[in-house]
Amino acid sequence: MKESLLDILCCPLDKHDLGLEGAEHDDEEVIAGTLVCSECGEEYPIEDGIPNLLPPDMREETPA
Amino acid sequence: MGLEDRRAQEPDVYQPAEDSHLLAEAACERLERGDLVLEVGTGSGYVAHQIADETGARVIASDLNPHAVRQARSAGVETVRADLVSPFRDGAFDAVVFNPPYLPTDPENEWDDWMERALSGGEDGRAVIDPFLADVGRVLAPDGSVSLLVSSLTGVDEVVEEAGEHGFSAVAVADESFPFETLTVLELFR
Repeated sequence: MKESLLDILCCPLDKHDLGLEGAEHDDEEVIAGTLVCSECGEEYPIEDGIPNLLPPDMREETPA
Repeated sequence: MGLEDRRAQEPDVYQPAEDSHLLAEAACERLERGDLVLEVGTGSGYVAHQIADETGARVIASDLNPHAVRQARSAGVETVRADLVSPFRDGAFDAVVFNPPYLPTDPENEWDDWMERALSGGEDGRAVIDPFLADVGRVLAPDGSVSLLVSSLTGVDEVVEEAGEHGFSAVAVADESFPFETLTVLELFR
């Protein structure tokens, strides 16, 4: 993901801003790291350059 | 093409079909360079890629399906794994585009896999469209609008009525008829 995506994203639970922690960059893209809600502290992983912003209760719900 | 045929071709990610082409064409006609666009339920990333390519708009694409976001990203699309519009900021987008799961499905006939999630709109075909309409207004800029693909199988009038409940006016901007359904692109605005 591009770092500028942070200006568009928010926490899916409480809609507060997200901070980027432990970022690993590849050229202009963030390929790994964690997005953390500034309000509730919920963490959202960035995997292979794709932020996973599913609410925690939906993350495990993975059909085959 | 029926569900069974579609499922056989690509097990995990919905591939571009007639509905995708109709939605991409309609969206491209009214979007322009400088617009910030969200495509919900991007699947293969086809519609998002077409819009970015043809108009120069910046397109963010989301999907619930991990296979879809990976496929869309490898097609060069900016992707986010998300449930509808939930992780996007208030007023962020000039336009939101959505080709939703819209086929009415008998609950006893569901497969509970990713392709079923991409196609099935529950018993009335509106199980995903209704929650989308309830929240999409939040992420639209004041002059923003929604391009939503709807099938006659889903009930265009019912979708227009539900959109009205959330403060949207609707105009049909494109349609195409097939033997078993007519596809319509609705533009929703406030």
